[in-house]
Parts: sequence; structure tokens; C-alpha cells
Amino acid sequence: MLIGAAALAIPMAQQDGVFAALWGLGLAAGFTLQRSRFCFASAFRDLFLFGSARILKAILLGLAVATVGFAAIMRAAVPFPGPELLPPQAHVLPVGISTILGGVLFGFGMVLSGGCVSGSLYRAAEGYIASWVSLAGVVVGLGFISQTWNWWWAAVISFEPKPWLPAIGGLGYAGALALTFAALVAAFVFLTWWEARAGVVTPAATEGAPAVTFRERIAKVWQTVFVRGWPAAVGGAVLGGIVVVMYTIHMPWGVTGELTRWSNAAMSLAGAVPPAPLGLDDIGGCAALAQETGLFGHTFSVTVGVLPGALVGALFAKEFKLRFPRNAVRYAQSLGGGVLMGLGAGLAIGCTIGAFFSAIPSLSISGWLFAVALAGGSYLGVQAIRRIP
Amino acid sequence: MKLDVRGEVCPYPMLKAVEAMKKLRGSEEVVLVTDHAPCLDTIPAQAPRFGYSYAVAETGSPEWTITLTPAGGAR
Repeated sequence: MLIGAAALAIPMAQQDGVFAALWGLGLAAGFTLQRSRFCFASAFRDLFLFGSARILKAILLGLAVATVGFAAIMRAAVPFPGPELLPPQAHVLPVGISTILGGVLFGFGMVLSGGCVSGSLYRAAEGYIASWVSLAGVVVGLGFISQTWNWWWAAVISFEPKPWLPAIGGLGYAGALALTFAALVAAFVFLTWWEARAGVVTPAATEGAPAVTFRERIAKVWQTVFVRGWPAAVGGAVLGGIVVVMYTIHMPWGVTGELTRWSNAAMSLAGAVPPAPLGLDDIGGCAALAQETGLFGHTFSVTVGVLPGALVGALFAKEFKLRFPRNAVRYAQSLGGGVLMGLGAGLAIGCTIGAFFSAIPSLSISGWLFAVALAGGSYLGVQAIRRIP
Repeated sequence: MKLDVRGEVCPYPMLKAVEAMKKLRGSEEVVLVTDHAPCLDTIPAQAPRFGYSYAVAETGSPEWTITLTPAGGAR
């Protein structure tokens, strides 16, 4: 499997070396997601379901890592930030009704289906059939937005500003970094208070017998990396590092663009070619990259790469299994939640990765607003799933 | 009480475990079978809130049995 995935880098490299490099990072991202069971849906959902912020705190750590790296990359590209000059590929997205509506729809959808887009990707590779249904739903939802994009653009999105912190009020990179870190620390303190209020107790990790001999020590490292699940915080920090390397090579991580490409390709095959989208040339992030043609591309590498990366992780840990939900309602939840996520990601121009995990480190205000809207949608989603046995 | 939640994903295994612990109020142990690895983090975190201790055993590939035992009787 690993060899097959690695071999696919050869035709990519022949087309463009960047595709192959990003493919390697896509594999690493999928492996990390699988190993640390990193789930953005549960990060937001468990806040309201059980008062647990374990994974959301791990995401904050990843954001902190990525913010430092992104700032350095953006500063190299745009040394003197101004409102008219955004760094290339930065995920600085519109802020307004589309962000809020997109975040609420996405948050509700990910709780209903049990995983966000990146979560469904790595679970699909672990053999969860319901996750494939969710992804199909996402493609359908994105297709609806592709067909109606120009209406949304003319009515809503073209009026929305794209505030970028370094260009606001002479903050510059230092001020924008300080503000972002202050907000991350404030979020961490708030989440800690939230957990204390709910009385959540995190069980202490159980340590096995200590390794003594060389053989035991090597075996222990192998177990820690490839067999036992990683702590969420490790996953968050590693993912933060991976997105920085992705941006160093070309662009931040996003998975919605590739799914939009599939959706548009499928609709074009069926004779319903979506209209040429207005305004996207000026907007970074996933949507702009959905215009690439051909099989391989930047988005293909960092999205499809998650699948073999996660599969390798699942095989090492013996966690691969085809899992069919026994309750037929779960298929409907996956499909419906997927469609809602597709609509939300289409409007907000990204999912929990592109419009959140890659947007906050881009020093974009849109990432924060999207996160709050995701929390709101997740709260509503929790109310819904409590009523679905 | 035995709970077979194979095929279910988050949050349902945890919700069902919590529901069972709430209902039984420590009168009986809960034995839960799952093939969803994230449960190994989420269910043990809930056990102490309802006065239960937990033990996780790998009983398949991939399959785990989580035994929730009342710690110190009914609350």
C-alpha cells in the first residue's frame, strides 16, 4: 500500500514536482489524522454534549504552530502589508452572512453525519461505509453552490470585506501575531473554565511496563507511533507543522476545492455544466483552486493523499475494517449531514480545514467568525442527534 | 448489561454507555463491544462521572470490549 501510494508520486513529479511534494504531505496528513483520531466534528460537538474540550484544545495548539509559520511565509511574500495586497494563496476569506450561514450549516451537518470533510476522508479510508455516503453528500451540496454561486456572489458575497489583520490599523505582522496569540490563549482559558464547569475528568494515560533492553525500547517506539493512538495534542501540533510545510511549498491545506472539482466534473459529464463563477479570482482558499483541470493537481495531492495515508495508519494499527451501520437511519444522517456540509463549505469557501485551520493562521478574521458559527451549528446539531436514537 | 455498538460511530457509543450508566445507577456492570477506536478515549472519560471504573480489552481486530464496573456501589 505504502509503495503503491509512493509510486503514484512518479507520474505526478513528471507533470509538476510540487504535486509530488504535496502528495507526500497529504499522505502525512492522513496518517496523522488517523493516528491521533483527529476529529473536528467531535471537537465542537463534545463541548455541548459532554463539556469536553480535549480535541478543541489540541486544535488551538495546531493553530498556534501554524500561525507562526504562516506569518513568516506571508511576511516573505508581502513585507509591507496593505489592504489591497494580500499574500498569494493565503486563506483570507470574506466575512459576513456567508461565513455565518456557511459555518452554521457546516457545524450542524458535521454533527449530524458524525464527521467533517477531513474526518470523513480518513474514516472512509478506515473502512467506514457511512463516511463514503457523507462524502457523496458533500459533493452534492457543493454542486448546488456551484450552480447557484453567481446568485450568492451578486446578492451577498461581493459586498463582504476580507479583513486581514496585518493590514488593519497599522497592526503589521507583529501586532497581528500578538492579537492572534492573545485570542488563542483566551480561547484556551475559556475552554478550561468550560471543562471545569462541566466537571469533565480526563483519565490519566496508563503506562505499560518500562522498556529496558534495546529491543524493548525500539518496540516501544514502534508501538507508540504505529499501533497505539497518539494523544490529540500531538496530532494537533503535527498537523500545524504539516500545513506550514504545505504553504512553504505552495499553499495552505484545504480539502473542499478538490471535492468541488469532482462535483463540477460530474455535473459537466451529466450535461449540467456549472456557470463560470464570478469573483473567485480575487478570493484565495479552496474555491480558487477548484478551477484546476486534469487528474493531478495541487488539491488532488493534499485531499486524495489523505486516503492512502490514513489507510496505512489503519493497517499498521490493525484498525481497518469495513463497517456498515446496522441502523438504516445512519445512512440518511450521513447523506443529509454531508449535503449540509457541502452547502456550508461552498458558501464559506472552505471547511474546517480551509476556512478554519488554514484561515486563522493566515491572520484572517474570517477563520474566527467561521469557528464561532461552527460552534453554533454544532450546538444545534447536538440538539438534533439527542432526538435521533 | 451488555451493549453491542459495533457499526456505530461517535457520539452514539458514548451516548449509549452514558445512558446505561445513568439508568443502572451503579447497580450492574456495563459491558460494551465496539469497533470504533475513538470510544477508547471518550467512554473512559465519562465513567467516573457516574461512579464507574473502566477496563479496556482488545478482543478483536479491530474490536474492543470496555467493561464499566460500579466503583463503590450505587450513588
